[in-house]
Amino acid sequence: MLRYITRRILWGIVLLILVSALTFILFQVFPTTDPALLRAGRNSNQADIQHIRVELGLTHPIYVQFWDYMKGIFLHFNFGYSYYSQASVTSLIFNRLPATISLTVGAVVLWVVMGIPVGIISAIKRGTFLDRASMTSALTFVSMPTFWLGLLVLYLFGQVVGLVQIFPGPGSYVGLTVNPVKWFTSLILPWFVLAATQAAIYSRLLRGNLLEVMGEDYIRTARAKGVREGRVIFKHGIRSAITPVLTVLGIDIGGLLGGAVITETIFEIHGIGLLNIQAINHSDFPIVQGTTLLAAMFVIVANIVVDVAYAYLDPRVRYS
Amino acid sequence: MKHYRKALYASVVGLLAVGVSACGSSNNGGSGGSSNATPKLPLKAGENAAAEQIYGGKKGGTLNVLSSEDFISQDPGGMYFALDYAVGYATQRPLFVYPPNSSDTLAPDLATAVPSTSNGGITDGGKTITVHIQPNVKFSPPVNRTVTSADVKAAIQRLFNPNVGNGYASAYFNNIVGAANAKGGPISGITTPNATTIVFHLTKTDAVTVLGALSMPGSSPVPANLIGKYDAHAPSTYGTSFEAFTGPYMIQNNNGVVKGVGYQTGKSMTLVRNPNWDPNTYASSAYKPPAYLDKVSIQIGGDPNVIGPQVLKGSDMAQLDTPSKSTVHQAYTQYPSEIMFTTAAGDHYMTLNNSKGPFTNVNLRRAVYANLNREAIIRIKGGVLTGSPGTHFLTPGTSGFDQAGGYAGPDYPWNKDTSGNLKVAEQYMKAAGYKSGKYTGNHVVTIVGSNNGADELAINQDVNQDFTQLGFKTHLIQVDQSVMYSKYCQVPKNAPDVCPSGGWLRDFDNGLAMLYVPFDGHAIVPTNNSNFGLVNNPQINAAMDTARYTANPTANAQAWANVDKLLVQQAVAVPEDFDIQPNIASGNVRAVDDIWNEGSIDFAFTSLK
Amino acid sequence: MSVQSEPTRGAGPEPTRGAVPLLQVEDLRVSFHTDDGVVHAVDGISYSVDSGRTLGIVGESGSGKSVSSLTTLGLTRSPRAQIEGRMLFDGRDLLTMEDDALRRVRGNDIAMIFQDPLSALHPFYKVGNQLMEAVLSHRDVSKQAARDRAIDLLELVGIPDPQRRVDAYPHEFSGGMRQRAMIAMALANEPKLLIADEPTTALDVTVQAQILALLEGLQRRLGMAIIIITHDLGVVAEIADEIAVMYAGRIVEHASAQQIFASPQHPYTWGLLKSIPRLDNPRGEELVPISGRPPSLINRPSGCHFHPRCPYVREAHKRIDPRLEPVPDDPGHEVACLLQPQVRGSIWRALQAGQTPAAARRLVEPAASAPVEATPLAEEAS
Repeated sequence: MLRYITRRILWGIVLLILVSALTFILFQVFPTTDPALLRAGRNSNQADIQHIRVELGLTHPIYVQFWDYMKGIFLHFNFGYSYYSQASVTSLIFNRLPATISLTVGAVVLWVVMGIPVGIISAIKRGTFLDRASMTSALTFVSMPTFWLGLLVLYLFGQVVGLVQIFPGPGSYVGLTVNPVKWFTSLILPWFVLAATQAAIYSRLLRGNLLEVMGEDYIRTARAKGVREGRVIFKHGIRSAITPVLTVLGIDIGGLLGGAVITETIFEIHGIGLLNIQAINHSDFPIVQGTTLLAAMFVIVANIVVDVAYAYLDPRVRYS
Repeated sequence: MKHYRKALYASVVGLLAVGVSACGSSNNGGSGGSSNATPKLPLKAGENAAAEQIYGGKKGGTLNVLSSEDFISQDPGGMYFALDYAVGYATQRPLFVYPPNSSDTLAPDLATAVPSTSNGGITDGGKTITVHIQPNVKFSPPVNRTVTSADVKAAIQRLFNPNVGNGYASAYFNNIVGAANAKGGPISGITTPNATTIVFHLTKTDAVTVLGALSMPGSSPVPANLIGKYDAHAPSTYGTSFEAFTGPYMIQNNNGVVKGVGYQTGKSMTLVRNPNWDPNTYASSAYKPPAYLDKVSIQIGGDPNVIGPQVLKGSDMAQLDTPSKSTVHQAYTQYPSEIMFTTAAGDHYMTLNNSKGPFTNVNLRRAVYANLNREAIIRIKGGVLTGSPGTHFLTPGTSGFDQAGGYAGPDYPWNKDTSGNLKVAEQYMKAAGYKSGKYTGNHVVTIVGSNNGADELAINQDVNQDFTQLGFKTHLIQVDQSVMYSKYCQVPKNAPDVCPSGGWLRDFDNGLAMLYVPFDGHAIVPTNNSNFGLVNNPQINAAMDTARYTANPTANAQAWANVDKLLVQQAVAVPEDFDIQPNIASGNVRAVDDIWNEGSIDFAFTSLK
Repeated sequence: MSVQSEPTRGAGPEPTRGAVPLLQVEDLRVSFHTDDGVVHAVDGISYSVDSGRTLGIVGESGSGKSVSSLTTLGLTRSPRAQIEGRMLFDGRDLLTMEDDALRRVRGNDIAMIFQDPLSALHPFYKVGNQLMEAVLSHRDVSKQAARDRAIDLLELVGIPDPQRRVDAYPHEFSGGMRQRAMIAMALANEPKLLIADEPTTALDVTVQAQILALLEGLQRRLGMAIIIITHDLGVVAEIADEIAVMYAGRIVEHASAQQIFASPQHPYTWGLLKSIPRLDNPRGEELVPISGRPPSLINRPSGCHFHPRCPYVREAHKRIDPRLEPVPDDPGHEVACLLQPQVRGSIWRALQAGQTPAAARRLVEPAASAPVEATPLAEEAS
């Protein structure tokens, strides 16, 4: 197992290098505004623009820029400085990360709490009104685009702009250490927005898995043994059905930690997603590189964790 | 240049075609009505300068400002962006300013008077400007000491330092003696006979220009004894690592350190009272900031569609950047007292390549000019609330605007009909040598427009049609806005025949600030060029030169009006509109907007009700 | 009943004849309502099993053989199922028993093992764990006691090194070991009746023999009744005392194992017998498969349900549905066929001599069939 993990981690690093290279190349290939021009201001003279280019290291040939950049990241863990604000990218990322983590963790808890029981009950009471009602509402939520749901939820329940003003409106997010109560209440709507779609997906997924599993032979055996039905469902049925769901969960968490752009923008939560979109608008390449690598790293780590967890959950996988 | 306007992100993302013309019941203008008349809207004091009450507010409170766009620079010497100005003018004191309710009359800020020939401030026929500054203005902590003329000199000199990256010094201050080769070091033409006097010696009679340019934030004093340390960095760290303030407010700072304290990139900007500010250091009642608010708290980021309703339905709030179209619509119909429209907001025009291709022919240009349907473009953008048809290149509120014909514009046949006139156009086609009245040449006209949003696409189509109507074969290229600039319109080598998205915003009240960079041949540069049309007409160049060095302000305005008329006469480009800029604030905010800065909210005059 | 480390020496191998059967099934009918129609899975079967005896139920897939056993344990109960008849176990009717009472019978008094032990055991739990679960579901004992019992059970079924094996996962066992483990699990609570549904189908031939031997041995030691369900007559030849042949949800022939092999009466049984390769058949003699496919249980053939596939079918057989009736001069032997016993006898002798069914058909004479008693049945036929 240890060798397996080490191998995966090494491969993960290779992947990060590739992602970094690809981002760099994409930025060069796709037309974006020259960041030197952005910084220089209008009708600035050529000397000024050139000066800024030199400052930003844009005058070196591309492969030199690339090599300097890769060296910086992988040897010194220096992600460079924002073209726009000269702040160090790592400081910006660390500044924004807690918000994204808060958003992710709360959303995950909420959608697991909402989705898993609904999935189980729908499977057990398959065909009944309860099952049909939950699957229909799940389908409805899955179909809602995040930006639409976010705005809807704001205009229904947000303070200042909403119809029934219960929850804090956009921009009210504060850090956990600053004001725990406000931190919590300001995240309720964003958590709901993120969790609603996911809960729907997970409940459908679990329901499908569970229905399939309940038709397996070992369920019949358990019943034939005289095991109580509740135990059959939970220890035999759900234990099998939940394994793929948990692996999907791990990967979703990894993805979400890279920043939920739309939700963060609508609710004005200064996380990685909002940082990313602001940087893209300013052609601020170092930040975009940094956030992309961060997102890639989360996904890679999540995948490794999930694979290891799967081996723990399913004994058949361990010796392959 | 459009890129630096507040309007960048919000106004071009037009998903909702606001048929505001349909809401014109309370508006006499209507959508197609007397197109050359002043729009009659229920404007809240903004347009009628005299009517804006800038004093009489209540002291106290915190204003919460929302902006989906971020600031660029907090260095008074480097800032060149409308949003930055809102903070800059509340925290720094340039020599002169425009009061919130004036777009053309300077008032003294740090200075004790606006120099003129009558008060002896301008001498040598316009080659020498003598400015006296207030004797008891202090820098904010930790500097704390009194501002002297040396500090103003240091401020102007550093504008030429590449590390400061100032974008306008070389255009406006190039005629100061010794400035030509300045790189941030001492400039001989700026002298300080005593602690409260600073004299500018000019190589030419450029006083009117320089005076206007001194109203930009760059003339705000910096601590001369400390600034060298920060300007030695590339880029300068003044404004981030350290800043000293002279205005009624300051960016919250930790012993002068701004970044990470009062300003968090992409997140927030907080302004607090400057403890060393003295309200009694203003010479003119025309400009005497009352500084009612105790604090200004700006939140950055967020969706414009959400910010709008927040501001409109909430309290103590204002939006700093441009509200989205749906917000403007909502405000205008449901919260009319919370939205203000400003006309002194810049213009848009369609540029034609004057140096290459078919449009080197003046009559062909006139034909195209005559045929462009300017009304349609305004309708696409959202109707009468977004602008009025452009008829020349000086904008309302700028000196010379009225002299050049006001809203009706110079009286030329191709300028008369703002919805386009095919007959007149055909006349000029014929004059250009196309007997049928339609273009029969082989050149395919390249039009490069932006594809950011439904509005832009619609405008491109409309413009395209106005060309094909005249028989031109066109090749319409629609790309991302930033690509449109950086790859086509701003690069003379790649300059297309037509750029429908030209536009300009003035730096101060003078024709030079509006007309030089877009239309003078000397302003053409190989990249980042703003003279999209590559206009290099000797007559125009000479006229601009003459106008610039006209020392008498009244004559100066008239001279620039003449330049403007000449531009129309030569049809160097085709005006599209005079922009109207909306700004919103909550109902309990007594917002005072700077009509000379696109109506941006002025923190030093705004109060809570 | 307490759990002891040594299995009890229960009732002897040959209980008194005439005693109350352990399991008595009377006219069991099980049908399922589906979107395609009503599936008549079991259409009126009756049989009984005594303690210490083995009943073999033989038939193709779709004959209803598994359904009747699953019904014994109540595993076919559902809103869409219609179950009629009586199933008396130890005097109690399993069909009317409450769910909870039935649960206490399952895995306790009646146990069942299934065809594919790899899919029938939960892949995520250790084998020992699953065995313990069988014990703990019915006995209030400590985990350690249950574990000890599990180890004993593994030893009982002949799994080597049970102390280690008890912590292994199902996929770590070989096929034969797995089936032994399954059997161990079924025996956890010393059931009176063990139902084995195709216990050897998924195993190699050599392993098959071992498992069958194991079952026989366990039956002798523990005195339990066994029902073996299979499609393979060869499997039950050794181990069954009685054999019931099922077709299309009915029992078509029922006799002692000896009688079935010595004088089979039903054409279907003949088909089954002739399709088994036998060492004592002449070399070169072809196997004779039964032509056609099992019938739909929703729309069953009219008259005798076997008639579409019977080589000896007559016109009347297409209209008349035969009942299960005793074979003359052969006590304990029942068959449901319209052919005359003598005719049947001669056909079988001909088949045994090596004739093909087509040839044997000639022996079916018009006068040989007896349509008389069929009239009342004609109304039943559908």
